[in-house]
Amino acid sequence: MIKNYKNVGIVGMPPLEIIRQLNADNITIHDLDTPMIRADIELTAPYLPKVYCAILRTVVLNALHLHLEAIYIDVGPGKCDCALHVATVLEDMLAIPVIKTRNEDTTGFGNPICRTRMDLVQKFEQITEGVKTAEKSAKTPPECTPAAGFWGVPPRDFSILELFPATTHIYGWTRCMENKTPADHELELHYNPEVPTVFYAQSFCAKTALARHLALKHPHGLFLDSDVTAGGSAKAKIQAFLELSGVY
Amino acid sequence: MILGDFGTSYSKFLDLSAARPEPYIIPSKTTTVENRVTIATGHNGKRFSDRYVNELTVLARGGEQLITENDFVLLDCGSRDIKFIHYIDGRLNDMGWNSECGASMGFTIELLARYYDLDYHVLPVPDRPFSVTCGVLGMSRIFDDVVSGTPDAEAVARFVMGIAINAYRFAGSPTKLYLSGGLCDNPLFVQSFPCQVVPLGRFVLLEGLKAIARKDSNPQNSKAQRH
Repeated sequence: MIKNYKNVGIVGMPPLEIIRQLNADNITIHDLDTPMIRADIELTAPYLPKVYCAILRTVVLNALHLHLEAIYIDVGPGKCDCALHVATVLEDMLAIPVIKTRNEDTTGFGNPICRTRMDLVQKFEQITEGVKTAEKSAKTPPECTPAAGFWGVPPRDFSILELFPATTHIYGWTRCMENKTPADHELELHYNPEVPTVFYAQSFCAKTALARHLALKHPHGLFLDSDVTAGGSAKAKIQAFLELSGVY
Repeated sequence: MILGDFGTSYSKFLDLSAARPEPYIIPSKTTTVENRVTIATGHNGKRFSDRYVNELTVLARGGEQLITENDFVLLDCGSRDIKFIHYIDGRLNDMGWNSECGASMGFTIELLARYYDLDYHVLPVPDRPFSVTCGVLGMSRIFDDVVSGTPDAEAVARFVMGIAINAYRFAGSPTKLYLSGGLCDNPLFVQSFPCQVVPLGRFVLLEGLKAIARKDSNPQNSKAQRH
């Protein structure tokens, strides 16, 4: 059945076994969590509340425009309750199979990209691109000493990442992503108290509670949330935080 | 060297090359290309300088210059937004900038005084506030109360108190608050805070720009003068 597909969408991180099968069958994987369509996100209003996680609104926007033959959507502890409900919406919205998965993979692939010296946007691009493959990267970039930290999920708007130095280490769920263990809550909780860290979550996401909590625990943390696009005040907070923390 | 704080309603300037530098203010709607400065901050600042520093950074630098304690909360209430910095042991501990839910706060307070012909210097602090989250949403509370018989002045005073309490909570409900911005000159607003308030006036950001200008001209001596 799966071999008949040419284009499938994924939401969150479906289990490695599924990604491996899709790779083996040369099926093109579209990561629906990332902005892929130049269309107004308000087109999702008939399907989702306007005040809702921008990542999941993006999923619906992508699903409305891409010609997909199936969607694998992770609804396990490595994603969120909202994804479970969006899966139901997608099932009623689309005439294609919407397959719910629960990724509880525990085999760690490591997280060298999170800890290397590289433009932060590029790091996030490589990590998010990595969800489409079951293979471990042949290259292991060297670790650098961190000057700053970014904890959280890949933001809907990558432009906030441009403000960080290349020596920023990544923590939180993005580190779990690179490690291919999205449900590893212990890894998600990890941060480095020695480096000034921005604790980021999408507005209206349940992870805002954790991001804010950890920012309060961290000796030098800043909680930040943003919706579809990051406004000037969000960017100014990051700039000021990094400058006043002595990062720049 | 001219420094400029280009706010939404008012723009503040300081000419460091003057014999006796004194800050001056003009309405922002009257600014032109003639008002270009060496270093700028504020909502409109990017249009008027090649060297722009964001307001939170400038607020922090101004606070470092004007406040002698190592632990402090400094809240800036502007026309369109509110922002705060919180220092502990001379280091940044927390900060916030609210341009959405704090929207149009100062602007609305000034607008109401004109509309109802009120003087905030003589309005008494009300017994209780309105529960308001921002200037725009709070306006309807005023109109509702006026329609139901509350005097204009009392309804507006409750609104102003609600705004002050909202800003106080946003800044983390400190026991002592340093206040920056044009609302320092509004006694009703200042007295409506449920904590000790130390008004620093509307030129705190210019003080911050001065510190940044010094750092630019002498990068070796870039550390803030902390205690």
